[in-house]
Amino acid sequence: MEEQMAKIDLSNISHTYNPLDPKPTYALNPFSMTWENGKRYAILGPSGCGKTTMLNIVSGLVRPSKGEILFDEIPVTDLKTEDRNIAQVFQFPVIYNTMTVYDNLAFPLRCREFTKEKIEERVKAVSDTLNLSSFLNSPARKLTADQKQLISLGRGLVREDVAAVLMDEPLTVIDPDLKFRLRRNLKEINEQYKTTLVYVTHDQNEAMTFAENIIVMDQGEIVQVGLPKDLFEKPKTTFVGYFIGSPAMNIFHSTVSSDHEVKINDTTIKTNSNLGNLKDKNVKLGIRSEFIELAEKEKSNTVKIKLTRVEDFGNFKLLTGKMGDLVIKSKVEREKPIPDGELNLYFPPEKCCVYSDEKLV
Amino acid sequence: MSKLYTFLKYFFITFWTVFVVAPFLWAVSTSFKDFQSVNSKVTYIPWLDFEPTLEGWRVLIKSPAKGGVDIVEPYFNSIFVTCTASLISIVLGTLAAYALSRFTFKAGFVRNNDITFFFISQRIMPPIVLSIPFFIFLSTIGLLDSLLGLVVVYIVLLMPIAVWIMVDFFNRVPKELDETALIDGCNPYQAFYKVVLPNSIPGLIVAGMFCIIFGWIDFFFAFILTFTEVQLLPVKVVALNSSITPWWSLSASALVSVAPLIIVAFIVERYLSKGNLSGALK
Repeated sequence: MEEQMAKIDLSNISHTYNPLDPKPTYALNPFSMTWENGKRYAILGPSGCGKTTMLNIVSGLVRPSKGEILFDEIPVTDLKTEDRNIAQVFQFPVIYNTMTVYDNLAFPLRCREFTKEKIEERVKAVSDTLNLSSFLNSPARKLTADQKQLISLGRGLVREDVAAVLMDEPLTVIDPDLKFRLRRNLKEINEQYKTTLVYVTHDQNEAMTFAENIIVMDQGEIVQVGLPKDLFEKPKTTFVGYFIGSPAMNIFHSTVSSDHEVKINDTTIKTNSNLGNLKDKNVKLGIRSEFIELAEKEKSNTVKIKLTRVEDFGNFKLLTGKMGDLVIKSKVEREKPIPDGELNLYFPPEKCCVYSDEKLV
Repeated sequence: MSKLYTFLKYFFITFWTVFVVAPFLWAVSTSFKDFQSVNSKVTYIPWLDFEPTLEGWRVLIKSPAKGGVDIVEPYFNSIFVTCTASLISIVLGTLAAYALSRFTFKAGFVRNNDITFFFISQRIMPPIVLSIPFFIFLSTIGLLDSLLGLVVVYIVLLMPIAVWIMVDFFNRVPKELDETALIDGCNPYQAFYKVVLPNSIPGLIVAGMFCIIFGWIDFFFAFILTFTEVQLLPVKVVALNSSITPWWSLSASALVSVAPLIIVAFIVERYLSKGNLSGALK
């Protein structure tokens, strides 16, 4: 069979659902992006940020208001969904009720007129991967919700030659244990068959564990594209800082006091950012609670806080403290003794991110 | 308390059953009576109260020349008109309903809902309003007093029912089902008849049932639009009446008229009780 997996280019895509309005609201603001062949991508963002619109544009269910989509440099913007060779799995199971599980899985291949032997072989392989082998002859409507979702997933994976498998929060209805296993299965499938997988989710853990590349979206805008590590350590905007990580990034209003220093209330904090042209401007300082360390005594880059709460999460403790009216959260090792009342927290300069206008300096 | 509830429940069910079934039993019994058994005194049970006779039934198949009222031809006319009109209504109505459910239409101020309402409005109108236009229409195209003319009129009457039921049904079928079919490689037509349609069988059955019922029981248009060439069952049954009411043959004809609907009800009930009407896509 012809190798058809493709590099997917989204070039200057934007989309509005009310194009005739004099002031259309954009579900997707103009962006360009490339999905490399055989990689795993996660699109992460809150509800209504345009994730699903983006998937539907790639699969052809929605025609973008502007821009072009290319599969391997060939424009497919005007190509119909059925001719695009994309697999898409929706949030809720969609199955063909009147067919058996086998027929459900075979359907995409039959539509594309594969030979009987090939269909049998592929359905067997996919049903083995998804633990559906024992149900192949039962009517699909008799299965439980998570098994039905496995069928939807299976229909996406049954074609070896798809350009990409797009998944729109596919594991919502699946119980946590199976979810974990399936994510690993998907990873294996990706590694084995080199199928490009695009996975939409609002769950950062899902995105972090699944994908090599994460695309963070907010209000129709792509905010940051990068490796999980980048998103965690150097969020490009305060939104990414808030959205990724648990607890969210600590973000403080502060003023630039010198080339590398900012002032929070009256405490000076040194950073590695170059703040030369922002002098005396109001900025925001962000630091992950994971990177804040307990300090024995006051030194440079420490802040004095009043401890208000200690929560034990089992593998770590989460300290919540107050400096004036600013709330600071810090994760510390479970074994570490926590002094009562006031304590000093150290902000490593290399871990401090400075945001001007919500964007990383 | 619960005993009282159970008692009341069974009481009302029994009461209702008697209420519904009694006229049927009465008709069955009457259809085997003769003039004497109907008019002399109240009689109920054959052989005990009266001597059963098949005269009431025989009249129905005897030709008028031999003093009968042949209802066989009107019977088959009715079956033909009802089935043809229902079938065409279901096919056209389902296609229309799918389009109304899945695509957005715009013509001036007219939107999908207005079009759907237009269909339904055909049934809201009192039928008598339509009688003169239909009469003129059929006489213009020369289809008065013909089976084809009746089929045309019945399609007009039945299609709104099909559209109405199927629009509602398709609206409850998630559009992701069609989209999945497209993604799996169907073109829109294949998606419709390979995926959406098989999923809509319960809806089709309900729509079909209503079409058959409303087509079968129509008296008004059958009466107005036919004269001598073609007669439908309801008209013929009414025509049985004469100066001496033939209760026996009226009862017999009533029973044979209802029979097809009872059969339809049994078939449909099997599908409805499968529970896949409401839960078709859960």
